[in-house]
Amino acid sequence: MSTSPPSEHDIHAYVDGHLDEPRRSHVERYLARDAERADEVQAWRQGAQQLRALLAGDLAPVPAMDPVAVRAGVHERRVRRVALAAGFVLCLGLGAIGGWAARGMGAGATAPMADAMQAYRLLAVDHGLGLDISTPNENDLRAWLSGRVGADVRLPDFADAGFRPMGGRLFATDQGPAAMVLYDDGNGHTVSFYVRPPGEARHLLPRGEREDGGLLANYWSKGSHNFAVVALADAAGRLSAEKMTTKSF
Amino acid sequence: MPDPQFDDALRLMLPRLRRFALWLARDSHAADDLVQSTMERALAKASSRRDDESLRAWLFAILYRLFLDGKRRASRYALLLNALGRDEAPTWPSAERVAEAHSTLAAFASLPVEQRSLLLWVTVEGLSYQEVAGILGVPIGTVMSRLSRARRALRALGDGSTETPALRLLK
Repeated sequence: MSTSPPSEHDIHAYVDGHLDEPRRSHVERYLARDAERADEVQAWRQGAQQLRALLAGDLAPVPAMDPVAVRAGVHERRVRRVALAAGFVLCLGLGAIGGWAARGMGAGATAPMADAMQAYRLLAVDHGLGLDISTPNENDLRAWLSGRVGADVRLPDFADAGFRPMGGRLFATDQGPAAMVLYDDGNGHTVSFYVRPPGEARHLLPRGEREDGGLLANYWSKGSHNFAVVALADAAGRLSAEKMTTKSF
Repeated sequence: MPDPQFDDALRLMLPRLRRFALWLARDSHAADDLVQSTMERALAKASSRRDDESLRAWLFAILYRLFLDGKRRASRYALLLNALGRDEAPTWPSAERVAEAHSTLAAFASLPVEQRSLLLWVTVEGLSYQEVAGILGVPIGTVMSRLSRARRALRALGDGSTETPALRLLK
């Protein structure tokens, strides 16, 4: 047998008891000649034995981790995740549908009867140029109005306030056909009476007034229509609008 | 598709995996989580296992990698906490370490993760050096030198108590 020192592999294999006879004797002969190395290897053997003895008792059964249970757990979690994802998609969908349905719901609230003011700007400034129907006859106007916007729309009588009708014009709006009747007091003051359906969203208005771009609008809802009285936002306009608005109820 | 034979083999390995996990994580909850994750991974990857690969080495390797990944994540987290000015508790209370230093078990517990794993695989589980080399992904010669280091470290830490095996620590 050669006298060369055994390999590291053989030393460990000796400690772990993996060596066959001739090689074990070889290691033992080598250790017999090297006391220091022998001490170390002996300590390693003891350490290994102690570890084996001390750790052997740690083998507790682990029922929850049985392959069948783990497989079921993974499956259940996957199902839950899919359900969660489906719920998420559902929420997203409902939100989108709700958002779509609610679109424009607040639009009227930000600028109520803005179309009435647009209509006034378009026609009253030119003092009635471009009206569909030009007549001071209230009966004709009433018939025209009920035929086009709604039979239940009542044309207010502003004669007491000193205003006579000049004529009317129809407008197409998102909410349906709208009509404006222009009134004149003979002194160059023009006031409009504007009526239209509230639209699909049935956006009815609380009574209110607002100013925009030098125009004053008083608006309200009655029955199934929205109304507005629009005048210039000066002292005279304010006075006439007030008179006409009180008459309109 | 469940394979009853594979399930049986896994079931047999469960206590050993748990023992290894306990000595890796040194915390029974963390160990159970590790074993659970190992089982899930093993079931999911059963088909990718080579037939000639030993099942126990394969399972130990999965568990070992999961543990290292978790530790890496935890240390990143600790780094973040430190960066935020908070202190993360060390893995092993030093007072406890001093108090228990006179037993092979405590010496073993205080070894670095890789040395602990090596000693457990080789001396307790009886894995071959080749299997250990496979788990660690290193040549067998490297396993030998690392095993020498681990054994020297265990001896150095456990010195002074070799005469009295710490049997009282067995519960």
